Amino acid sequence: MHTLEPELRALHAAGVIDDATAARALALDRGEVFSLHQELRATMYAGVLLVVVGLGLVLARNLERIGPLAIVLAIALAAAACGVPAVRAKRAGRALTVAGDYLLLLAVLLASTDLAYAERQFTLLGPLWSWHLLLLAVVHAAIAYTFASPLVLAASLTSLAGWFGVGGTLGDALHFSYSTPMLGARALACAAVIAAWRHADRRARPDTPFSNVFDHYAANLAFWGAIAWCLEWPWLAVGLPLLAALAYASVRHALDTGREAFLVYGIVYAAIGICAATTPRLHGTTVSLGFVLIVVCATAATLWQLRRRLREPSP
Amino acid sequence: MSRWRPSPDEERWLELASELGAAVPRAAVTGRAGGWRSIGPLARIALFLLGIVAAALLFGILGFGNETSLLAAGLISLLAAEWLTVAKRLHASGIEEGLCVAGFLLLGAWITTLIAPRSGYATGTVETLVLIAAAGAAGLRRLNPFVTTCAVLAFVYWVGSTATAHAIDQTIGGGVTAVTVGCALAALALALGVREYRRPSHDRMLDWLVATLPVAAYAQYATPDAYEVLRSPGGGTSRLATAALLLALGAAMLFVGVRRRRHAPLLGFMGCVACLAVEMRQVTALATETWLILYGFAALVAGVALDRYLRQPRNGLTSAAPTHREGPLDVLQTAGAAVLTQRTAPEPLPSGSTVTPGEGRFGGGGATGSY
Repeated sequence: MHTLEPELRALHAAGVIDDATAARALALDRGEVFSLHQELRATMYAGVLLVVVGLGLVLARNLERIGPLAIVLAIALAAAACGVPAVRAKRAGRALTVAGDYLLLLAVLLASTDLAYAERQFTLLGPLWSWHLLLLAVVHAAIAYTFASPLVLAASLTSLAGWFGVGGTLGDALHFSYSTPMLGARALACAAVIAAWRHADRRARPDTPFSNVFDHYAANLAFWGAIAWCLEWPWLAVGLPLLAALAYASVRHALDTGREAFLVYGIVYAAIGICAATTPRLHGTTVSLGFVLIVVCATAATLWQLRRRLREPSP
Repeated sequence: MSRWRPSPDEERWLELASELGAAVPRAAVTGRAGGWRSIGPLARIALFLLGIVAAALLFGILGFGNETSLLAAGLISLLAAEWLTVAKRLHASGIEEGLCVAGFLLLGAWITTLIAPRSGYATGTVETLVLIAAAGAAGLRRLNPFVTTCAVLAFVYWVGSTATAHAIDQTIGGGVTAVTVGCALAALALALGVREYRRPSHDRMLDWLVATLPVAAYAQYATPDAYEVLRSPGGGTSRLATAALLLALGAAMLFVGVRRRRHAPLLGFMGCVACLAVEMRQVTALATETWLILYGFAALVAGVALDRYLRQPRNGLTSAAPTHREGPLDVLQTAGAAVLTQRTAPEPLPSGSTVTPGEGRFGGGGATGSY
């Protein structure tokens, strides 16, 4: 173990940090205040993951034995039960705790599973069955707004991205064989919808807790779309300028807000796009590798320089 | 004051600047930190990966098939890393760490080409040990807990795959040697972590070992090969021994974590509990889906109970977030929620298809969607 108490006292004595900051930092350093927030998050996430995976197996293996109606009712009941702590917190006027937030996420995921299963079994929407992705996005969004839950909003945005035909995870971004211009167009359309939603949310509620989630989704989807366009001519002619504009906007946002993630997005995605657009047009392995090496070095230098200019976040 | 790395005092100031963020003016710390410069966590991760990629590209340019290329690429990467350290005074900035790790690994790979007779990089060979030592040396040079932890975890795997370990496993049970070594190293790190260190990085190296070793060591034990051995006579004894080891280590970690108010032992304890849960599943006849749901609900109940208990801080313990600034774990949490949603929501379109938005394909409420 180590303690930074002497350094904190030196800074305080020199008047560099105020009394409140010093007292808070000293309390944390000595362990007088000790937060189990991360441990709780890990426990709750593991719990939700295990239940969701286990439920998937139950549905896959015991369908014939249990019967569809019983399954639908049981899952709906479980989802309702998981939502109880959030409803109670809302009625008591309390903010959601980390456990309540994860239980609400589980409720939403169970409801998703239930709806998907019911649709499969009873074909409720008929030929429009695929629209229940959009329905899920809307329902999740309503729940997220009701309980002010960024986690459930993430579920809603993932469903929305799914409806647009974009995966919504890093794995999809790395499947370059899938990255057709059509995928790019869908990703960009989805990013535009999310950006517009964020703007409306921000206007309606200036103190919204959702902006961070909107920002991450919109940025990643927009970059994936632009990179997908960088892979094929003539889309490349639009893709590269778009990528440059997005990178500039992302870096600008990072410098304005001090959010490091957007600096990394802007610079690293731009480098990936440049390499994806250029290397297929270069002849010879050495030339291609040399070009990528130059891009990597330039990326590292740019990231370092801009990171130094980033405003430090508050503790 | 050293040109090659920050002194312990300088490193402590860097650590303090990182913890306080905007609360302390950068200029107030720069002088005290001896001019050393560091960077935030996300940019550090990105730069670390870029450093590794740069070294790999250099190796590719010099020629993948040539053994001398390993030496040349390794030396150039190491020199670049040292230049960044000495001339630019970078510490824990990612890029010099990535270059250094890749450089050491390339040099280690070159050394293995000198070993005769060659046995390849199969498990338990001297060649693998050389690479592990190279990674460990890079981690110690850079005071990087991630790299040193990877080296130690690889060492535990290496120990478990040697002929000696296999011979011992025949007597005491499949994979038990690796678990024992892993738990012993975790216990040693836990004991050493009680001492006070001047360098925060030394403390962090021990913390990472405490948090990761139990799960990593158990993961090797829980491989399908090990289960084959466990089915043989004596498998029950080895299972009991493993459970006892995990139980003892978990109890020690919980005690130290709560008493010293340290996160790493608590994470290690959670790892031990997860391993014990898997171990218990082996001795029961529960179906996979049943134990997944049961353990999932157990984790949720434990989380809810702890959350309720700590809603009001008790003796300084709290479930509230210590800071409101967005960190890597917050980004990870959002990504984690997306992954969970994808497991339950209908599967998205394959991107190569010609259908329009809204025409998603059903994936089902589960792993594959195939009922």
